[in-house]
Amino acid sequence: MSRFENFFRLSVASLVRDRLLHLLFVLAVLSLFLIPAFSLFSMRQVQELAVTLSLSALSFLLLVLTVLTGASSIWRDVERRYTFSVLGLPVSRADFVLGKFFAIALLLAVVAVVLAAGSFVAIKIAVSVYPADIPVNWLNFAVAVCFDYLKYVLLLSLAFVFSAVSTSFYLPFLGAIAIFMAGSASQEVYEFVTGSAGKDFAPLARSVVKLVYYVLPNFAAFDLKPQAIYALPLVPGTLLLTLLYFVCYTGIMLSLAVWSFSRRELS
Amino acid sequence: MIGRIFFGILLCGYLAVILPFSASLTNRPIVVKLGTLPEAEPLKMMAGDHRYLVAQYVVAKVLFYYGSLVEHHSNKLVLEPEYPNMFKMMQTSSKLDPWNADVYYFTQASFTWEVNKIREVNEMLDYGMRYRTWDYQLPFFAGFNSAYFLKDFTSAASYFKKAAELSGQPLMANLTARYMYESGQTQMALGFIEFMQKHTTDTKMIQLYEFRKKALVAVLTIERTVGEYRRRFGTAPPKISDLVASGLLAQVPDDPYGGSFFLDEKGVVRSTSKLAFGGRQPGQKMHQRETQ
Repeated sequence: MSRFENFFRLSVASLVRDRLLHLLFVLAVLSLFLIPAFSLFSMRQVQELAVTLSLSALSFLLLVLTVLTGASSIWRDVERRYTFSVLGLPVSRADFVLGKFFAIALLLAVVAVVLAAGSFVAIKIAVSVYPADIPVNWLNFAVAVCFDYLKYVLLLSLAFVFSAVSTSFYLPFLGAIAIFMAGSASQEVYEFVTGSAGKDFAPLARSVVKLVYYVLPNFAAFDLKPQAIYALPLVPGTLLLTLLYFVCYTGIMLSLAVWSFSRRELS
Repeated sequence: MIGRIFFGILLCGYLAVILPFSASLTNRPIVVKLGTLPEAEPLKMMAGDHRYLVAQYVVAKVLFYYGSLVEHHSNKLVLEPEYPNMFKMMQTSSKLDPWNADVYYFTQASFTWEVNKIREVNEMLDYGMRYRTWDYQLPFFAGFNSAYFLKDFTSAASYFKKAAELSGQPLMANLTARYMYESGQTQMALGFIEFMQKHTTDTKMIQLYEFRKKALVAVLTIERTVGEYRRRFGTAPPKISDLVASGLLAQVPDDPYGGSFFLDEKGVVRSTSKLAFGGRQPGQKMHQRETQ
C-alpha cells in the first residue's frame, strides 16, 4: 500500500467518523422529504421547482461540506499535533495533502450521488402530483449534478491552498467563502464591465476587472441548472472546455497547496 | 441560586413576550410583508447559482401578497395593491430566471385586467418568448392582450399564428380568429379566463379568476339585455335601471369587485369599481395602505 493510499484511507476513516458531517447529511436527506410539498408553491411549474429545489439543496450542502472540511482538515491535524508525529516519518508532505484532498473529494462524490438519488425520488413524487408538459431530462440532471460536484472540488482545492499557508481556521474558511462568492459573480461582472454599461468605467478599472476575472475561478461555467430544470440542450463543446478548465485550475491549486505546505515550518 | 432566579425571570419574560411578538409579526401591514428587492443585476451576482430559487421565491412572495389581497377583498376590505412594486419584483424575477413560467403567468394574470399595463406585460411576454421558445402560452397571452385590450388585431394575428405553430395545432389561429369574429369581446374574455384558470394549481389565483368570471358574466348578461332592449324599443336604455323597469332583467347583477354597474354615454356597461381591486366605490372608504 502506497503512502498516498495510507493517508487517503486514514482521511476517509476520519471523515466517516465526523459527527458534524453526520448531522449535516441527515439534515440534507430530511430536506429532500420537503421538496414535493414545497414544489406546490409554484403555479405552473411544479416539476421545474422540484428540480430547482433539489439542485439548490445539493449545491448548498456541497458548499457547506467543502468549506468546513477543506478549511479544517489540515488546520485540525496541525492543531492536534498529528502532523508533527506523522510528518516526522520519512513520508512526503505531498502525499499527506493529496491523500486528504482526494478523501474529501470522495466524500463529496458520495454525498452528491446519494442526494441526487434522493432528489430523483422526490422529483418523481412531485411530478406524479402535477405532471409537466416537458418531462425531466435525467441526463441533463445527472450532468448538472456532476458539474456541481466538480465546482466544489475546485473550491476545495482553493480551500486547501489557504489551509496550507494558514495557521488559523478562519482564513481558509472565510477565504473559501469569499472566493466562492466572487467566483460565482465574476462572469456577470465581467459581462457588465465589458458590455455597453462598462463604457463609463475608466480603462484601467476595466483592465483590473478583466485581470481579476481571469485569476478568479469561474464557478458560473459549472452552473447547468437551467439545462436541468428546463431541459435545455447541453453544448458539448462548452462542457468539454469547462472540464479542461476544471482540470487545469484544480491542478494548479493543488500544486500550489502542496508546494506551500512542503515549505511550511511546522515545528 | 441567583442564577436560577435570573434564568426564571428571563424565561417568564420570554413566555410573556412570545405571543404578542408573534401576533405583531403576523399582523404586519401586507405591504411590509411584500417588501422590496434590489436591482436584478446585483441580486443576480449575489444569488449565484441559486438565482433560480430566488426567482421562484420572489414569485411566491408576490403571489402570497396578492392572494392575501384577494382574500381581504372577499371579506369586503378594500385595499390598494402595491402594483408598481409587484410589477418591479416580477421584472426582477424574470431577469433572475427568464425561463420561469410562473413569472409570465402571474404577470399576465395580475397586470392586465386591473392595472391595464398591457404594453409592459406584452414587452415582458416578448422577453419570455426569447427564452421559452417552446411555450405556446406566452404568444397566446400576448395575442389575447393585443386583441382584447389594445384592439391591435394585426399583432394579435401574428401572436396567435406563433402560438398555433408552437402548440402543434395549426387550426388554433383560425379558430381563435373565428371566435373573436363571431363572439363579442366579453365572450372572448370569458373563454380566456377559463383557459387561465385551467392552467394554474394555485387556489388563490383560481379564486381571483372566479371574481373576474362573475364580473364578466354579469357584464355579459347586461350587454345581452341592452341588445334585447334596443331590438324591442329601437333605442338604447338611458339608465341601467330601465332594463329592470322594462322587465327584461329581473335585477341588476352584483359586481363582485364591490362596485355598481351603470351604462356610460355610449351605452357601454361600466362599473364604479372599474372591475378592479381597490377601485373607488361610492360611499366606501379607500385604504391607501393596510394599516388596520
